[in-house]
Amino acid sequence: MSTATIYQVEVPQPKQHGKPGGIMRHLNFFTGLIGGVVLALVFGFLMNIQFPAGAQTANFANAAAGPTFWAMMVGWVIGFMGGMGAFVGPIRWLLGRDLTHDDAEFMAGKDQGKFRYWRFTTDHKVVGIQYLIVAMIILGFGGLLAMLIRTELGATWMEVFNPDFYNSLVGTHGIAMVIAMIVIVSGPVGNFIVPLMCGARDMAFPRLNALSIWLLVCAVPPLILSLLVGGIRDGWSVYQPLNAQAGPGMIGYQTTIIVFAVSTALASVNIMTTILTMRAKGMTWSRTPILIYGSFAAAAMGLYAFPFYMYSQILSMTDRLINTSFFDPIEGGSVWLYENLFWLLGHPEVYVILIPSMAVLMELIPVFMRKPLFSYYMAIAGIVGVVGLSGLVWAHHMYMTGWAPQANYPFMLSTEMISIPVGFLVLVVIGTMWRGTFWSRLPMMAVFAVIFNKMIGGVTGIYLSDVPADQYFHGNMFVTAHFHYMLMGAGLFGAMGGIAYYFPKMTGRYLDERTGSIGFWTAFAGFQITFMSMFVAGLQGQPRRVLQFDSMFNISNWISTIGAYTIGIGMLIFLAAIISSWRSGQVASSNPWQAQTLDWQTATPVPLDNFPVLPVVTKLPYDYGVPDPLAPKTLEKEYDEKVGAPS
Amino acid sequence: MADTLTPPTDGPEAPTNRPPAMHRLREWLQRRYVRHVLIITVVVGFALLPLCWLILAAMNQSGGPASTVMEDIQQTIFVFTLVSIPITSFVFAVLIYSLFGWKGKGGDAPPNNDNPAISNNITAVITWTVSSSLLAGFLVAWGLIELADITADSYGSQPTTGQLRNADEVVINVTGQQWVWTFEYPQYDKVTTDILYLPKDRPVLFNVTSVDVIHNFWAVELGVKVDANPGAITQTGVTPNKEGIFNVRCAELCGLHHAYMETEIRVMPQDAFDSMMRENGGGSPS
Repeated sequence: MSTATIYQVEVPQPKQHGKPGGIMRHLNFFTGLIGGVVLALVFGFLMNIQFPAGAQTANFANAAAGPTFWAMMVGWVIGFMGGMGAFVGPIRWLLGRDLTHDDAEFMAGKDQGKFRYWRFTTDHKVVGIQYLIVAMIILGFGGLLAMLIRTELGATWMEVFNPDFYNSLVGTHGIAMVIAMIVIVSGPVGNFIVPLMCGARDMAFPRLNALSIWLLVCAVPPLILSLLVGGIRDGWSVYQPLNAQAGPGMIGYQTTIIVFAVSTALASVNIMTTILTMRAKGMTWSRTPILIYGSFAAAAMGLYAFPFYMYSQILSMTDRLINTSFFDPIEGGSVWLYENLFWLLGHPEVYVILIPSMAVLMELIPVFMRKPLFSYYMAIAGIVGVVGLSGLVWAHHMYMTGWAPQANYPFMLSTEMISIPVGFLVLVVIGTMWRGTFWSRLPMMAVFAVIFNKMIGGVTGIYLSDVPADQYFHGNMFVTAHFHYMLMGAGLFGAMGGIAYYFPKMTGRYLDERTGSIGFWTAFAGFQITFMSMFVAGLQGQPRRVLQFDSMFNISNWISTIGAYTIGIGMLIFLAAIISSWRSGQVASSNPWQAQTLDWQTATPVPLDNFPVLPVVTKLPYDYGVPDPLAPKTLEKEYDEKVGAPS
Repeated sequence: MADTLTPPTDGPEAPTNRPPAMHRLREWLQRRYVRHVLIITVVVGFALLPLCWLILAAMNQSGGPASTVMEDIQQTIFVFTLVSIPITSFVFAVLIYSLFGWKGKGGDAPPNNDNPAISNNITAVITWTVSSSLLAGFLVAWGLIELADITADSYGSQPTTGQLRNADEVVINVTGQQWVWTFEYPQYDKVTTDILYLPKDRPVLFNVTSVDVIHNFWAVELGVKVDANPGAITQTGVTPNKEGIFNVRCAELCGLHHAYMETEIRVMPQDAFDSMMRENGGGSPS
């Protein structure tokens, strides 16, 4: 055989210099932290010498723009990534030292116990868990801000914060939640599960994988620190020219976004390449699980959407620091340019959040219904349709801006058309439920919650897609409630279902069913209370992002705040369930849900190279109730009895 | 090796004597679960029906529609609610029947049940696709027609041409700045007010702009909403048809006191409007 001869060829191996791993043995999160802080201080100090506070006005357009803070941010990013060891690989390349096998195994975290989670580890399973933890931390931070916002909004007489800090809360909550929601499904599922499900040994670019997670970690402190230096006072969309008035906190935001966009691009390229090139033998496009399609779609959308966001922030930054005028109308810039760049990201990003979460649900429904996925091709068509249309709808955020009133007609058309492919996904879900007795575990129950929320979010989205109705709802609490139904109601509750489903594979233990369900349903109930009454506030005419409102909105806001606290309690219970189950939950077998996808066919905990022998795929993994050489005999007998029955 | 490539011939044979479509539909409709799902759909649909009016009631809480534009907007919202009820209640009915009709079983192992292995149903797929496309098509068509209608009523939100489109109309230059609205009446000696005075039943043209950041001029009960952009003028219009006191709010985050950037609209008869203009030092219309 020809393959045998290939293995017999003598490949020159790189020479081992010192212990495996080299300098990487000494670098970890803590050295990164030290490196970041030190370099930030050094850069800030140097910038201060060069441009002392008094002289900044002469050299920079805006004295409040904070070149010092900008220098510190640059220092932080370089220092942190350097301290983590992100530059070790490229430098080794320049020196002509390739990694030996032992080096690569060290980089993958072999035999390093729990400490590998603190390192620049390339193993996709480590990266997946890191993504999950980081996403949960950002989510907790954003959730805390949400509680503070709702406290302020409880009633007209509840004046807790000054307007400046309140606006910072709103902006920081928005961007923190958007980042958390983008990574909470795509990160853990895309990095931990997708390679397993493909039947691969790792991601296509393991070192880029480590780079993408640590860039994400690197992007978080600027966001949190910006609260201390003026904050992000302009909503998550930081429209120009309001943006230009803000203090140095805005530089924190811009740094976060630029770093996060790079991280997302790397992760997207990695996921897409893995899916395109590393699927197991026999896993043709018609045998690929729907979750892989979903992850691919999200990565593809992220790849073209995030550069727009990055450009918009880079241009904002140069406007602020070196007096360019891309967005300053007084000097010939355009505020509409910013809005266009921003929403070219803004709308695909919604689907970057929703599609993976829907794909996880479509993946787990057949398992818990013990039925094939209804109309697999319809599911693919839905995902492809959403991806195709997602890039053509951005200006529906700009119906009321006066930018191009004639463009409202085509954008209304494309936006309303997107309800058709989204409807396909709903059909796939309810079709799989049709006539089936389900296995009522938490992941399955999440499906009911998500479809309920998704219908409400979808129908209210139809109002907003319509220009006349949007003439009432634009910039109104109704919009806030609508996108919370989509991003939180469908996205986050879907993510919670997905976590419950993959928990046994990730940790080797079940997520505690009882505590988890109590938390989930408490949060669900609180969610309905909060955002149903927010719809009412919107219908009554309350604008978004206000800290004070007319007394006629008191009742709906009061109810909304009570609901928000309920969500907080529910989420804390769910978090407690995750932590306690992770430490001491019921031990699960390697395939506790008896699923057919490849990710469940390997051992738990997953060995470093995933599969002892690379699997070969012969069918779509959804034929539950269909005879299979590996299935128990009883199923086959039942099938014989059923095969004549009409569906 | 070639014989392995021949397709497998086992499996159920295609039935040659299928009953006609109407028979199959009737048979399908007689099934217990189908009838239950349909009944639940109808019940849920009727339970949701009051929403059509409740939504309008909530919108009218602060004074009700005061222009044809706002009436059109409310009509659109009413129709959209109405047409989305059937499909929403069908999906809810399947969820409800799955929970309480087909039911679930807990336990550590999957319940050994005999769910039918339905991997596709071309009739269902076609029905769903056609009906959702028709629905979306209807919504798009309705939206386009209404938008054209409103644009005709309000001149849309367009860059200014500097010309009156209607000899009778009152021109008002609306300027947003952090965090107040000012209204200038060029036809009345450039009177400037911070409350928006409007004559009833006369077309009004707003030239909206901003001197600092983006604001959004939202005359709530009149159904007028357009961004006030620095460095650009956007034009919109309305014909108020109801007297009373209404609200202007800023609907675009504009900084520190965004929440307080609101004022009143007073719609009054023509003669009262004229005297109000005189009171503010505006004299008679030029």
